[in-house]
Amino acid sequence: MAEAVAGKQGPETTLFLRKATGLVRSWSVFDAFIYATFSINLITLGLYSFSQMYYFEGGLMPTLFISAAFLIFEIVVYAGLISVMPRAGGDYVWQSRILGGGIGFVLAVTGWWFILWLWVPLYADMLRQIFFTPVLGILGAQDAALWFSQTPLGLFVAGLVTCAFVTFYIAIGMKGYSKIQKVCFWVGMAGLLVVFAFLLFDDHEAFRSGLEQQAPALFGAPAQGLYDGIVKAGEDAGAVAPLFGGGILAIFLAMPYIVFFNLWPNWGATLYGEVRGATDFKRNFWGMAAALIVTTVLGAIFFLLISKTITWDFFMKANGAWWNYRWGYTEAAPPLPIWPYPALLAVFMTPSRVLQLVVILAMSTWWFGWSGTVFLSSTRVIFAAAFDRLLPEKVAEVHPRTRTPIYALLLMVVPSLIVTALFAWNVFSFQSLTLDSTLVIAVTYLGSTVAAILLPYVKRDLYNASPIAKYKVAGVPLITVAGIIFGGFLVFLLYEWLIDPNKLYGISLNNTSSVIYMAAMYGLALVLYLGFRFYRRKEGIDIDKIYKEIPVE
Amino acid sequence: MLTIFFATDVHGSEICWKKFINAGKFYSADVIILGGDMTGKAIVPIVHQGGDRYKAVLLEQEVRLQGEDQVQDMVNKVKSRGYYPYRTNPDEIRELNEDPSRLDDLFAAQVLKSAEQWLAYADRKLEGAGIRCYVSPGNDDLPALDQLIGGSKHVQLVEGQVIQLDDHHEMVSSGWSNITPWHTYREEEEDRLQARCECMIARIHDVGNAVFNLHAPPYGTTLDEAPELTADLRPKDAGRSLVPVGSHAVRAVVEKYQPLLGLFGHIHEAKGAVRLRRTLCINPGSAYEQGRLLGALIKLAPNQVKNYVLTTG
Repeated sequence: MAEAVAGKQGPETTLFLRKATGLVRSWSVFDAFIYATFSINLITLGLYSFSQMYYFEGGLMPTLFISAAFLIFEIVVYAGLISVMPRAGGDYVWQSRILGGGIGFVLAVTGWWFILWLWVPLYADMLRQIFFTPVLGILGAQDAALWFSQTPLGLFVAGLVTCAFVTFYIAIGMKGYSKIQKVCFWVGMAGLLVVFAFLLFDDHEAFRSGLEQQAPALFGAPAQGLYDGIVKAGEDAGAVAPLFGGGILAIFLAMPYIVFFNLWPNWGATLYGEVRGATDFKRNFWGMAAALIVTTVLGAIFFLLISKTITWDFFMKANGAWWNYRWGYTEAAPPLPIWPYPALLAVFMTPSRVLQLVVILAMSTWWFGWSGTVFLSSTRVIFAAAFDRLLPEKVAEVHPRTRTPIYALLLMVVPSLIVTALFAWNVFSFQSLTLDSTLVIAVTYLGSTVAAILLPYVKRDLYNASPIAKYKVAGVPLITVAGIIFGGFLVFLLYEWLIDPNKLYGISLNNTSSVIYMAAMYGLALVLYLGFRFYRRKEGIDIDKIYKEIPVE
Repeated sequence: MLTIFFATDVHGSEICWKKFINAGKFYSADVIILGGDMTGKAIVPIVHQGGDRYKAVLLEQEVRLQGEDQVQDMVNKVKSRGYYPYRTNPDEIRELNEDPSRLDDLFAAQVLKSAEQWLAYADRKLEGAGIRCYVSPGNDDLPALDQLIGGSKHVQLVEGQVIQLDDHHEMVSSGWSNITPWHTYREEEEDRLQARCECMIARIHDVGNAVFNLHAPPYGTTLDEAPELTADLRPKDAGRSLVPVGSHAVRAVVEKYQPLLGLFGHIHEAKGAVRLRRTLCINPGSAYEQGRLLGALIKLAPNQVKNYVLTTG
């Protein structure tokens, strides 16, 4: 029944294991890399945020790399927390244990549940721009393509499709979803390589000619002077973002925008096996870090290829023309009546409708493989809160046949559709709240980061018994050092978002809609926590004891 | 009203066992129940290097120790993770590596020695406390453990028995599980597991008010979701692919008899509470390697679960 496992230092460092339930071998770092790569999705989140950054003066290339350097510390923090408290359930449990139940509840339900309502219209906006509009255009359904691209109802319908897809993923469970993700990863990568090939092997003249032929044919853009018209509209929009340079201050000011794309490698954090130690810390670290590094490099290659063939200047001006109109800064519709999706711009260089369609469909798997992430974490937090009796038992109920958490899903879908409608029709300037989606999760991350900084000091026994206890920088625990650096970065981001002295992000304390929306979310979380605490106390349950350590005499 | 504290799968963690024994007082419970799998999964050798020097590898990190204080500190660290510290020398390590049967004997000796100390601690702490303590060893526990527990004054072995919890509630218990990939001590085919359960349940007077304390969770209830494994026992898709691995037999008896409460364990990751028809089914999960005791505090009234909460103590 028992076996000896020799250590790396030879047979003298053997560990003796019994055959016992749950003892498994290490998981694949490559698999973890795939899921983390989906979390910092270059094609959906990346291209969407780059395109909105047309007015920044910091070079996008250095912004991409410097932000990634800061996020390596985020990965150290999260890989460390997983090592010390494996399989604990993420931010909610880490914060609850280290900072207290109230803080853990408020930060987790806002960061992993409520704010995801706002992500639904953002996912939907990406879905319509990288899937519905280009696919329908290529198939010759120009009116439908433009309806999806330009109308609030088109966005709302894309929101309905998003909710339907995510519900489907939750219904089929993680087993089915992880398999779909894997297929989507390979298909999406193949599509990306073809897009890179178009950009690499064609030149600017071919692009310009393709654009002026295909965009009028597929989307009804003006047949004459389209290219120059886009450049002019981009100039009017103030599109200035350079690829390189811009000065260190300008680069730092661009970072609160780019993190909309790359702040999330920790969503790929995975299991930590029993009886394993430092290896699993390194596996988690490398799964996430490889995703961040590879995605950053792919992003840099994309930038360079865009610059070579489309030209950076034209790309940013096309983005400026589109968003300037979308955000209501001009009444003049952009000459290119759709979002300048780089994959679509690349396939404009082939006249083959079939090839265009195949590439766009392959690239859309970046969205389809990723979209499940919007609700999966939320349902887990809802369940965890229900088990802690901070929500009604009903919300953790699972349908006996389909094993679908119907009530938890309703708590996601119904508010998401309301927020999607507000966003689509821009009620209360909801479209200005895009970066709130990142800010609220950053606040949750800050909570976990503070917990990580304090961990070696407030949970000394737990930390000292963990595999990361030996990692120190100048005698200070690595998790504390990494936490201070990443925490400092988060504080800088929060300062820029909330105070916004240069008026760059649109969600400062001067944006009444943003302030009300965030206050409503944090207020609702606080009311839920205090209300259920009071209610349970009346029922004879002391919520404060849930996370209190049992004293051992 | 009867207050139960339930925990499970402490897997050799001494700190978790001590917390379990102290949980009755902490949560004001009348009864504390351990759902099985008391024993640890690994032995960590502390290898003599000559003089007062030793070497050990814990969590893949080699630690060199000098002096009794450092060795004792390492012993405590090893115990807190749920492993058995074992002082030895390079020659014995070599012999153990070469002879697996000696390793089995060593494991048995360590498990029983540790259990003996645990039971002595429990008898000391529960003396005069007015708290009843029930234990049913799980599929990972050696059969020899039963006899040891049977000799305890305050820890009652309840495997296969019907226990009267109070005037209204009875409890049946079993640590046996359906077949696992590890082929552990107490596992069997579903039909035999169902027969084992039926045999106990037949002796209950009022099954509608009963508690089923069964180690294996009912199949397909989310209380049984574990990472899907490859043939060589690696988690598929970096552990993301979760599959139900619970017992069909346990689900069948819960659905057939619909007791008031079902207490389960076995799958450490699958912490949760769900209703299977009228039965509240709870798996508190396990975080033994962190020294945290996951549990469930449940208040029972006649014909109803008055309240419950999952705890991290």
